[in-house]
Amino acid sequence: MRLLFLQKDELAPFVCNLIASQEVVGPKARKGRFVFDKLESPDELRLDYDTTILPPKKYFFQPQQDLIKFSPGEFKGCIEPKPRILFGVHPYDIKAISMLDHLFSEGKKDWNYLAHRQAATIVGINVHKVYKHAFFESMGASIVTKGYDLFLTDIGEEGFVVDVATDKGEDLVRLGSFDQAAPEQMQKRRTILYGQTDRCPQKLDRMQDEIAEKVSLSYNHPIWEEMAGRCFSCGACNLVCPTCYCFDVQDVWNLDQASGTRFRTWDGCLTEDFAKVTVQGGQENFREDRASRYRHRIMRKAVYLNTKLEGPACVGCGRCASACPADLANPVPVLNTIMEE
Amino acid sequence: MDYPYLTDKEEKVKEAVQGEENIFLPKVAKILHVQPMAKTEKHFRLAFQDGTPMAHQPGQIVEASIFGFGEIPLGIASTPTREDHFDVVIRKTGRVSGALWDLNQGDAMYIRGPLGKGFPVEEFKGHDVLIVAGGIGLCPTRSMIEYIEDRREEFGRFILFFGARSPKEQLFLDDLERWRKEKEWIEYHETVDQAGGDWNGNVGVITTLFGKTDISKDTRVIICGPPVMYKFVIKELKKLSIPDSHIYVDLERRMKCGVGKCGHCQINGLYVCTDGPVFNFARIKNLEEAF
Repeated sequence: MRLLFLQKDELAPFVCNLIASQEVVGPKARKGRFVFDKLESPDELRLDYDTTILPPKKYFFQPQQDLIKFSPGEFKGCIEPKPRILFGVHPYDIKAISMLDHLFSEGKKDWNYLAHRQAATIVGINVHKVYKHAFFESMGASIVTKGYDLFLTDIGEEGFVVDVATDKGEDLVRLGSFDQAAPEQMQKRRTILYGQTDRCPQKLDRMQDEIAEKVSLSYNHPIWEEMAGRCFSCGACNLVCPTCYCFDVQDVWNLDQASGTRFRTWDGCLTEDFAKVTVQGGQENFREDRASRYRHRIMRKAVYLNTKLEGPACVGCGRCASACPADLANPVPVLNTIMEE
Repeated sequence: MDYPYLTDKEEKVKEAVQGEENIFLPKVAKILHVQPMAKTEKHFRLAFQDGTPMAHQPGQIVEASIFGFGEIPLGIASTPTREDHFDVVIRKTGRVSGALWDLNQGDAMYIRGPLGKGFPVEEFKGHDVLIVAGGIGLCPTRSMIEYIEDRREEFGRFILFFGARSPKEQLFLDDLERWRKEKEWIEYHETVDQAGGDWNGNVGVITTLFGKTDISKDTRVIICGPPVMYKFVIKELKKLSIPDSHIYVDLERRMKCGVGKCGHCQINGLYVCTDGPVFNFARIKNLEEAF
C-alpha cells in the first residue's frame, strides 16, 4: 500500500484530467437521490452522497447486454469492453463488485462480464453520509482492503489520503497533483476508516455464521408467509441489489427478420415465472407461491451463496429496503426475528 | 479471497471476443435425420459441423437453439460410445421448442454443451442397473441404455421400466420393438396409464412394473420422469431396501445459461445445470424444492 495526499482544491483538476483521459462515471444528484452516471465536469461529482439508486454493477453487468449478433449463416459474440473509471465507489459497493467478480469467474468464466470489469478502474471513497436504510457495518462491508485501484479517504478540510493499490491506480495518480501523505494525515485516515463504528441506523443482532446456520434451519418458519402476504412479486429488490446477478436470455429480430441479437437482461427470483417450466403434462412452477420466492431471496443472500463467497451475499447497502413498494424487502427485521427465537 | 482472473490480461479478452472463451457462443450442428415419434415429439439426429464428437457422459445436457427464437435445455438422448452423431428429442410446447421442432434434415441447430453432470458410470459398473423412465424421461436415460448396450460386459443385470400415458405417446418405437425382443442384454418392462387400440401389454402407473420382476438390493437405479413420479418410485425402492445413495435422479428445470450463473434452475442452493441434472438422491432428498 502506498499512501499519497490530495489537497481538496486539487480534486477538481484531477477529475478534469481523468475525464479528458477516458470515460469517468461517478455519483451525481438526480431528483433528490443519487445515481452513478457519466461525469461531464467535476462539479457534478457528489462525493457526499448517501447511496445511489442502482449499484455500479450496471457498468459490468448491464441491465440489457448483447451476447450474440446473428445473421443468416453467421453469428458472433459482442464483447467490446470500454475503458472507464468508476469514481467515488463506497466500500460496500466495492465489496459487492468483488463478489460478482468471483461469481462470474468461478466455474466457467463469463467474459461478457469480466471483460468490462477488467477494463474498469475503481476509485473508492469512504462513506460521508450514511443512508437511512444502511446496515453495511453488520455485513462487514464498512471497510475494504482490496477490490479497488485507488481509495480516497476524506480527512476533512485539508483533503484526501489516497491509497494507491494497483498499477492502474498508479497510472491515474500521474494525472493529478499528489504529495506523499504525512504521518498525521495517515493517522487521521486510520481514525476515520477504523475509528467510526455504529454509524448505520440498521443493525443485525448476531454474527454472520450464526445467521447462516439458523436461517438455513428456518425453512418452514411462519415469517416467510407473513412477509410475503404483502409482496407484489415485482422484483424491485432484485433489480437494485448490488449482488443479484440472475438474468434472462432472449432473442430479438431486426426489422429485416433475418438478422438479430441474443441478449440478456436482469431477472429477479421474486417474479412469478422465474422458476416456471413447461414439463410433461403442462406447466410446473418450482417456486409457485410468493412466500417460497421471498424465502429464496433471503436464503440465497444469507445461506446458499455462502459456500461460493465464504460469507453472505449481502453488503448491507439498504437499497432493497428503499426500492420495495410494500416495505418488506429489508432483510434486517426478518433476520433479527428469526435470530430472536 | 483473491480473484486471479483480474490479472489475466488482454489475450483472454481477445479469445473471449473471438469466441474461444465465450460461454454463450454455440457450435453449429447439422441435422442428419428427423424422425417424428409421437404427436408432439420428434427425434433429431445431429453431428457437429466441425466433425468433433459430443464427447459427453450419459445423462449430460445441451442448450439447443435457433437464432431469433431462443435456446432451451435438452438431455442428450444417445450414448457417447457412438461418436458419429448425437440425438435429442424436441417436444413442441412453446415458441423455441416449436421453432426447433420445425427444422428439417440438413438444417443447422446451434448447440452448447455437453453441460452439467451426467450419470456417474463408474459407480454403476459391476452392479445390476434399473432405469425407471416416465414419458419423455426416456430420452435422457436412453444415453445410458445405449451405453450399457455397447459396454454390456461392464454391468450386471439390466432392467428398464418405461411408462407412457398411452400407447400413442410411447417414444422411440423402433427401439422399443428391439428391446422387447433382445432379452439377452435388456429386461424391458413397459406400461401405459390408459390402454387403447390393440394394446395387449400392462396397464397402470409405472410402479405396477415392480411386481413383474425381482430386483436385488445391490441394484443401482436411475429415475427420470414427470415431477409427480419420483416419490412413488422411491417408495417402491425403499421396499426393496435399496439405499438412497444408490439412487440417481435426473431433474428438469428452467435454465438459461447452462453454466451456473443465471439462477433459474436453482433447487435451494444447488444449480441443476452444473451440480446436476443428475443428482444422487441421498444428496438432495432433504431439499424442499427438489421434488
